[in-house]
Amino acid sequence: MRIFLDHNGGSTLRPEAIAAINRVVARGHGNPSSIHRAGQSARRDLELARRQVAALIGAKPFEIIFTSGGTESNNFAIDGVLRASGSRRRVITSSIEHSSILAPLLTLEARGFEIIRIKPDSDGRVSPAEVIDCIGETTALVTLGLVNGEVGTIQDLDGIARRTSSVSAAFHIDAAQAGGRMPVDVNELGCDLMTLSAHKLGAPAGIGALFVRDAHPIAPMLLGGPQEDVRRAGTQNLIGAVAFGAAAEAALLAQPAESARIGAMTNELWMALRAAIPGLVLNGSIEHRIPNTLNLTFPGVLGESMLIALDLEGVEVSMGSACAAGAVEPSHVLLAMGRSAAQARSSLRLSLGWNTSQDEIAAVAEIIPRVLRRVSASEPIAAGEGAR
Amino acid sequence: MSPRVLVAMSGGVDSSVAAAMLHEAGYDVVGIAMRLAPEPAHLSRRKATCCSHEDFEDARRVAERMNFPFYVVDLREDFAARVMDNFVSEYLAGRTPNPCVMCNREIKFDRLWQRARAIGADFVATGHYARIDRDAAGRFHLLRAADESKDQSYFLFSLTQDELSRTLFPLGAIAKTEVRARARELGLLNADKPESQEICFVPDGDYAGFVERAGRDRVRAGKIVDSAGSTLAHHAGMHRFTVGQRRGLGIATGEPMYVREIRGDTGDVVVAPREQLSSAGLIALDVSLVGAHAYDGGPVEVEVKTRYRQRAIPAILQIGSGRTAEVRFLSRGPAVTPGQACVFYRGDEVVGGGFIERAVEA
Repeated sequence: MRIFLDHNGGSTLRPEAIAAINRVVARGHGNPSSIHRAGQSARRDLELARRQVAALIGAKPFEIIFTSGGTESNNFAIDGVLRASGSRRRVITSSIEHSSILAPLLTLEARGFEIIRIKPDSDGRVSPAEVIDCIGETTALVTLGLVNGEVGTIQDLDGIARRTSSVSAAFHIDAAQAGGRMPVDVNELGCDLMTLSAHKLGAPAGIGALFVRDAHPIAPMLLGGPQEDVRRAGTQNLIGAVAFGAAAEAALLAQPAESARIGAMTNELWMALRAAIPGLVLNGSIEHRIPNTLNLTFPGVLGESMLIALDLEGVEVSMGSACAAGAVEPSHVLLAMGRSAAQARSSLRLSLGWNTSQDEIAAVAEIIPRVLRRVSASEPIAAGEGAR
Repeated sequence: MSPRVLVAMSGGVDSSVAAAMLHEAGYDVVGIAMRLAPEPAHLSRRKATCCSHEDFEDARRVAERMNFPFYVVDLREDFAARVMDNFVSEYLAGRTPNPCVMCNREIKFDRLWQRARAIGADFVATGHYARIDRDAAGRFHLLRAADESKDQSYFLFSLTQDELSRTLFPLGAIAKTEVRARARELGLLNADKPESQEICFVPDGDYAGFVERAGRDRVRAGKIVDSAGSTLAHHAGMHRFTVGQRRGLGIATGEPMYVREIRGDTGDVVVAPREQLSSAGLIALDVSLVGAHAYDGGPVEVEVKTRYRQRAIPAILQIGSGRTAEVRFLSRGPAVTPGQACVFYRGDEVVGGGFIERAVEA
């Protein structure tokens, strides 16, 4: 039995997404920009998907731009806002954002932009008051994640939108890890832009969206054809879009029962592990947390060893920020939350999803303590140190 | 349930075939590639950047083809602390280290074994050319490879009974040509890949440059002197020399001169004509014995290898206290190189070995 607990890395495809993909694939062709009937069918499908995605976050369909995924949406939001916002040079973010936010901002900093990175507290919460204090007449953009993908902490973004709009700065929310997993409403949040990622909610990778509020200025990043209302050139990824739309609709319909069910299982797993493992630490806020995510520091072992040992036992989890060639860098999120590099290296992320079952959680609650005992007896690392 | 074995895979032919052979023999194989060296900052990152390491991809393809699990693990910190730092300090002290011996002892058969146990493995296997035999009394013997031209037992002398009992060398009994043939048979894409020669963390082969970057403020300059003590030249650092070296001395004399000795205490590099490059024996430190035979440490005739690419020569071995040994060659032997491993053989069997501390002149 394989138990998949890495839904924050990329969730299992929802059956609705698979059905939508199959429907479009079976038709075989169709470019939404074409005038003939195949093109018209494709356009109908694309626009249905756009409405479905818009509904997920309370947006209007024309405010949704399909992109290649969360990374493009985040890059696009930053680049598109700054090129449309004249001489303003200040960007405000936090130090725990996704790399697709932090990397472009680093480049901008080298080009002379003023980048303010707010540090979170030890729970991974960024103070909205601190953000608001930094917003001024020179601020071009505030960009913050709604849910941190590594620890699952939900941010309090209250009041930020009022302040940005009072100085005509743009407010972008990266909701890649939030969409479809908790109520997200662009009007309640008051943001001007929002990133969504499809593969976090049960559609394939390679498709995402950027919400841009009606009439909010944004310069296109990809130039070429007039697709997406001249805001993002390139023939649309129709297969991806219909899957995204179907998954978004399914996720929305499943709420709030799905979140409640997942939250109960996550809690059960945390209680069971905490009882079985002395010194186990839950990273991130207990109270303000997306129901599916557990980021745990296992005392005295390397996360890398735990991950491999668990995989060999059929349990698939993640370290948050490893790469395929095996260079394990301690999570920048945990470091920003004040954890040591050793603690970060001893941490694993377990993320449940729409198809996680009670039986799986019961099995994992037994497997993890057993594997931990073996790893810690075999490859002990001293508390407070890295590898010796 | 079949025994689980962690196979250290580099992406090369040898470890790939080793993994495949164990898989075919019914072991529960887990392939592990180790991230050991940091990215060399001064070289182009294009070839070996995160997530695109070609060698690891070769190993991954082998695992996919054979359908066993494969992971890349990050042991950079351990490697830096236990192999690279030693490499740099040894060179700076005027010695010539052998990082492969160190890596085997510290990483592959120690650190990696911990990892193996952590993932539920019973054995560690590598693509080394050497054999392990278990006798009727349950003792483990470390033997030269069947293919003598490929024998790597020299690098493995430090293995103990305990380590040998949980180590597998599937290539020990077969020839390199056979390994290549098996690789092709198995459809391994890297069957004809050239063998790696350089030290893995100094891919450009510039050891001196590496040592200077890592230990800039510890570089020890000095004089080049002849056997009589006259100064022939000055040098920029002892780490640029090794015993037996002829090139790069920067001296012009009638007959060719070779490095005979590097004096760590004064920084002097002593050169001499070829016929003076010999020694009567050596003192070794950090000596370990494989322990397959009862042996009280008294004088015993062995053959000893003082460099990997060198024939074993007859000598008398006498174990001293505190893990030391004195080796006396039966007839005058080569000039020995402090820092290199010296390995004691009896016939095909490795008795033990240590690290050369100094030559014995008479």
